[in-house]
Amino acid sequence: MSVAAADSKTSYLLDKLQSLSGVVPIGAFLAEHFWSNSYALVSVGKYNDVSRELQQIPWRIMIETCVLFIPILFHGLYGCYIWWTGKSNAIGHPWMANWLYVLQRWTGIIAFVFIGWHLYTERFMGHGVTSYADVQRNLMNPWYLTFYIVGITCASFHLGNGLWNFACKWGIAVSVSAQRAAGWFGAAVAVAFTFIGVAIVIALHYGAFPLGGYVQ
Amino acid sequence: MADKTFIVKIKRQQRSDEAVRWEEYELRYRPHMNVIICLRDIAEKPFTRSGSESTPVSYEANCLEEICGACAMIVNGKPRQACTALVDDLEKPIRLEPLTKFPLIRDLQVDRSSMFENLKRTKCWIPIDGTYDLGPGPRMSPETQEVGYALSQCITCGNCLEICPKVNENSHFVGAAIVSQVRLFNMHPTGKMHAGPRLEALMGPGGIEDCDNAQNCVKVCPKGIPLTESLAAVNGQVLVHAVKSFFRGS
Repeated sequence: MSVAAADSKTSYLLDKLQSLSGVVPIGAFLAEHFWSNSYALVSVGKYNDVSRELQQIPWRIMIETCVLFIPILFHGLYGCYIWWTGKSNAIGHPWMANWLYVLQRWTGIIAFVFIGWHLYTERFMGHGVTSYADVQRNLMNPWYLTFYIVGITCASFHLGNGLWNFACKWGIAVSVSAQRAAGWFGAAVAVAFTFIGVAIVIALHYGAFPLGGYVQ
Repeated sequence: MADKTFIVKIKRQQRSDEAVRWEEYELRYRPHMNVIICLRDIAEKPFTRSGSESTPVSYEANCLEEICGACAMIVNGKPRQACTALVDDLEKPIRLEPLTKFPLIRDLQVDRSSMFENLKRTKCWIPIDGTYDLGPGPRMSPETQEVGYALSQCITCGNCLEICPKVNENSHFVGAAIVSQVRLFNMHPTGKMHAGPRLEALMGPGGIEDCDNAQNCVKVCPKGIPLTESLAAVNGQVLVHAVKSFFRGS
């Protein structure tokens, strides 16, 4: 242990890519994904218009593969390797950042499993075509709904806490006060994403349109 | 009136491949005792609580004022210096264990030479010798001195490695102490001239990227060194160095 080998820079590059891919494209996509799906809070027609538009973008398969599938697979699988290189000890040493480290590991695994299942059920089973009715039918199942809420919460936490890690790991937030500010920013992102994501699936479950008031 | 006593439990092992045994000692309390005094008391009369004869406990200690780093051990579950672990402040019975992230020599004594090897590997020194008089070095600003002084207090005790989730048999992470020393020598006006090789050394496996920001290191540093700031600062330095040397060549 504790022997630095100076020759190989591959691990540095892979680690940096793992860190970067979590923010761009994965984090950016999550923001876009929650934005588009927020149309479920507006109306069925609007939701179907937006999803049809997204389903008909040019170079779709290539964009899905290069911007989503490969980065998510890499981030998740390399993340499992990073998991393996750590041994959490938060039970004996329950400091805040130590718990965040443990939670980052577990939420990563849960979100990765959830995203795999979510892609399978919503992207591949429907061959890339879904509508409000399809998604709502799935979310009527209370188990689906529960898994969605867990998955969304984990992914949102992992992103928010990951942004804090990113700020530290890329040397952006160096001072203790900057790291604390980055932590609060990450917490705000985690809370906002969880709220929006959970609101979307609950609205779909009940077929409610809380933001549809101003639709003519 | 009988003397006030307290119990000390010690994890003992003759060699790392021998079975662990826990021994209990009942010691006479005196005011202002520290853990080192307890270990000296045991060496004086190595009889366990049950009365069976044992041997003096093997441990390292030197300065007894928290500036040498030698007496790091796990006291009541927390890695710290035994010399500043005061009996009055500790929950009884006091539990003593050796650090677990270093090869065990015997009882509470471990081999921390891996830290020294990593300091050498990351070139944590300032080359000032030449074949002729190099003259005085560049001046250092008071601001740099102030930050550097805090970092220079590292005593290589190993507590930050002991508490780090990323220092274990599956990872080669050098630990916060070494990264912080790289920051110290890179901020020195003469040391700066060799910043590149230090940062290169931290780019490989076990280098800076292995830090996953659990930030335990800073909680157990007996010298209060801003280790999390050092990790972030060196992270930035390595990144800039990597980008520069890729685009412009080193």
